[in-house]
Amino acid sequence: MHVRSLTELRAADAALFGGKSASLGELIAAGIPVPPGFAASTAADVEEIADAYRALGEPAVAVRSSAIGEDSAETTFAGLQDTYLWVEGVDRVCAAVRDCWASLDKPEAVAYRERMGVEEKPAMGVTVQLMVDAVVSGVMFTCNPVSGDPSTVAVNASWGLGQAVVGGEVTPDEYRVSKVTGEVLHRAIGPKLIEYGPGGVRSDVPPERQEAACLDEPRLAELVEVGRRVERHFGSHQDVEWAIDRDGELFMLQSRPVTVVARAERPAGKSAMDLVMKTFGAGS
Amino acid sequence: MATPSAEVAEFPNPFSIETPAGCEGWEEMYPYWALFDEHRRESDENRLWFWNSQHFPFPMPAFDMVEVDHPYYTLGGWQNRAFAVPPAMGVDYRVVNGYVYISPNPVTDPDKMAERAEYFQKRAGHYFQNWDELYAGWRTKMEALNREVESIEVPDLPEYEPDEVVFGEQDLSNITLLRAFSHTLRCAEMMWQHHFEFLLLGYGAYLTFAEFVRAALPDIPDQHISQMVAGIDVVLFRADTELRRLAREAIEAGVDGAFVEGRSPAEIDAELSGTDAGRAWLDALEQIKDPWFNMGTGDGLYHYYGSWHDDPSIPYASLIGHIEALKAGKEIERPTEELARERDRLAEDYGALMDEETRGGFQELLGLSRTVFPYVEEHKFYCDYWFQSRFFNKVREFGALLAKHGFIEEGEDIFNLSRHEAMQALEELSLTWSTGGPPLGPHHWPPIVARRRELLERLGEWTPPPALGRMPEAVNDPIVVMLWGITPQRLKEWAGSQEGSELNGAAASPGEVEGPARVLRGLGDLDTVRPGEILVCTITSPAWAPIFSKIAATVTDIGGIMSHAAIVSREYGLPAVVGTGTATSRITTGQRIRVNGSDGRVTILDEA
Repeated sequence: MHVRSLTELRAADAALFGGKSASLGELIAAGIPVPPGFAASTAADVEEIADAYRALGEPAVAVRSSAIGEDSAETTFAGLQDTYLWVEGVDRVCAAVRDCWASLDKPEAVAYRERMGVEEKPAMGVTVQLMVDAVVSGVMFTCNPVSGDPSTVAVNASWGLGQAVVGGEVTPDEYRVSKVTGEVLHRAIGPKLIEYGPGGVRSDVPPERQEAACLDEPRLAELVEVGRRVERHFGSHQDVEWAIDRDGELFMLQSRPVTVVARAERPAGKSAMDLVMKTFGAGS
Repeated sequence: MATPSAEVAEFPNPFSIETPAGCEGWEEMYPYWALFDEHRRESDENRLWFWNSQHFPFPMPAFDMVEVDHPYYTLGGWQNRAFAVPPAMGVDYRVVNGYVYISPNPVTDPDKMAERAEYFQKRAGHYFQNWDELYAGWRTKMEALNREVESIEVPDLPEYEPDEVVFGEQDLSNITLLRAFSHTLRCAEMMWQHHFEFLLLGYGAYLTFAEFVRAALPDIPDQHISQMVAGIDVVLFRADTELRRLAREAIEAGVDGAFVEGRSPAEIDAELSGTDAGRAWLDALEQIKDPWFNMGTGDGLYHYYGSWHDDPSIPYASLIGHIEALKAGKEIERPTEELARERDRLAEDYGALMDEETRGGFQELLGLSRTVFPYVEEHKFYCDYWFQSRFFNKVREFGALLAKHGFIEEGEDIFNLSRHEAMQALEELSLTWSTGGPPLGPHHWPPIVARRRELLERLGEWTPPPALGRMPEAVNDPIVVMLWGITPQRLKEWAGSQEGSELNGAAASPGEVEGPARVLRGLGDLDTVRPGEILVCTITSPAWAPIFSKIAATVTDIGGIMSHAAIVSREYGLPAVVGTGTATSRITTGQRIRVNGSDGRVTILDEA
């Protein structure tokens, strides 16, 4: 079985199907909304992929690399492997999968592995998922990615498909929400000049929507709630890509451990009284 | 004000401040040590002085310098000489155009700091270990002191001494009089001694907790930190609890009709005393006056801030509000159980988000902070409200005596004499009463008082710069950070905030609103506040409770997360930004402003 439905995958399958596919399987198992799809291992052949795609009903899909060794907690290969969006038709899907496999040989991927000290060329799995026709999408960290604060969720959001946010093509809206009270502690509305729509068409955002907030409080609350479930399920802070489709339905597109968490500096092994003394400049 | 340079902002040189027109000679109101003087020039112009508008928002009447000297010599006594806080001695002050500027004296020699640390650890440790017991003793001695100052007798000076002087042990009346005045002043010193005995340690423990939480959870809103610690049934809220009970009783007894918006307390009392039920209700009110009517009408440091005893319009306004709310079917009780649950839930949820080691420290410091916090909240009632109002009323009795003998025109004029001058006047009165000769006082004092009255009024129109002198390289004085919230960041903001339409302060209570500003520079303007206005003031007092039900938000010049303005705003769910440095001088009444209590920004929307 070199091609399997995402619903069947669990963490242990990462060795064959790559981290991305395995974590999507975990999300589905945890009852978190994920667009349906399948995963292909390195050893999958074209016939298996074509069959799985036909079983999905031959819709437009997203084809993403799911390198083995990718998205681990130590190193992130983010963006170095290819992603193909709005791919439709058996031949195109099979071609996109082959391109993903080949992406490991690109010079920048090789250079990255060298820098990170990854000696062996990783094997490459591929994730194929129903394309979400997103009106709003973005990224969510289940902690503050800058300070490491575990009590807040950080959300970046922009109009259309998430590639504008991930690729840094827009200054997204930034939200930071308290996990404890649900309060929106920080909100900075970005000038969102462009968006990607159906078919991957890039267009200008009309002026009246550029400075409008993408997410209202109920939506943020919903995101944060899902984010906390994801975090609980994996037992670690997660970096999640999400999208809201035209029907207003929220999907998680991928989840991976936050690779670098700034740890707040804490005086270790000191008693409360030592710390109080330190406030008054007494004691080290 | 000069435009600050890009690098290090400088504040005006303290020796370059001009005297406002018509205020020449203001210096004579204050002790010689209170002034900037050539003999201290080199040191004084090279240190930072900041206007202590938190405690002294108005020009100082001569007598009220008691409230500057006593606190600073008891603060220094505990901090520098008793506890020997390693990096900080006491706080110096200077008066400029009637306003109080302060500057801490740091300890910089590492050997000296190490030497002091040994004292500090042993002595502060004793307090922290025995806090509850020591604090119980403190309450007892404060209550005793409050009753002591009230019970001091100010003797009249009779034509003939009573028999007891001749046939008994009683002292001469003039000797008793002078002793009584000294005694009154000594009580004030004692109050300040008690006030600072626990304050530094209490704030320090709380600040340690706050910093620990901020390090572990950098995004946590300040108000959640204080919410986890704040007491629920603290003494400051008790007075209003009693008023709510009386509001219910007024309705049950059918006497609520007397409480009509716009009526004075005297008019309400007059109607109530016309019926049995009304008289019974007034008796019930009388029962709670001691001690709960000792709530202050201001923050306690000026003679004109009385208590509810002196100005019952504040509690009566509360009563009217409570009765109205009850009749409209509203719930008026503070949801104490809910508040307690919320406070514990916050602590539990935040703790659960930490790793195990951090959680251990968090819980230990939370426990310590909750131990010390009752003092932090309650000392205001015992010291700043109860004692202060009794003390100033006692001084008024001496003023009345001086006025009776023509030394001043009216009793209140005593507050335009320094405590030393008041003693001189009393001494001359003692002398001439005993000799029967002609006193000079009636010629000497009234012109001095008249000039000072005029000076205070003119100085009140001057806007003090937030700071003078040189920006320090580091602010590492824990006391200055704790008590005044002065950090390098805050100083930079002050230096840069002289222009533009935005002010920054501490986010004290979340939410964002827009509305017309009402700038209050004095207590007397309290009744000018209209519903929906945003209160802009140097400082607020929790005793201003009735206006908090009218206003839309609060902005203050000075204050931090410990300030009661912040606490009361959160109670009322009003956005608040505190510690802006210059709000009262940059915003004018009627301007539309936007207050964001979540990020600490105040925006002036229209430049009037």
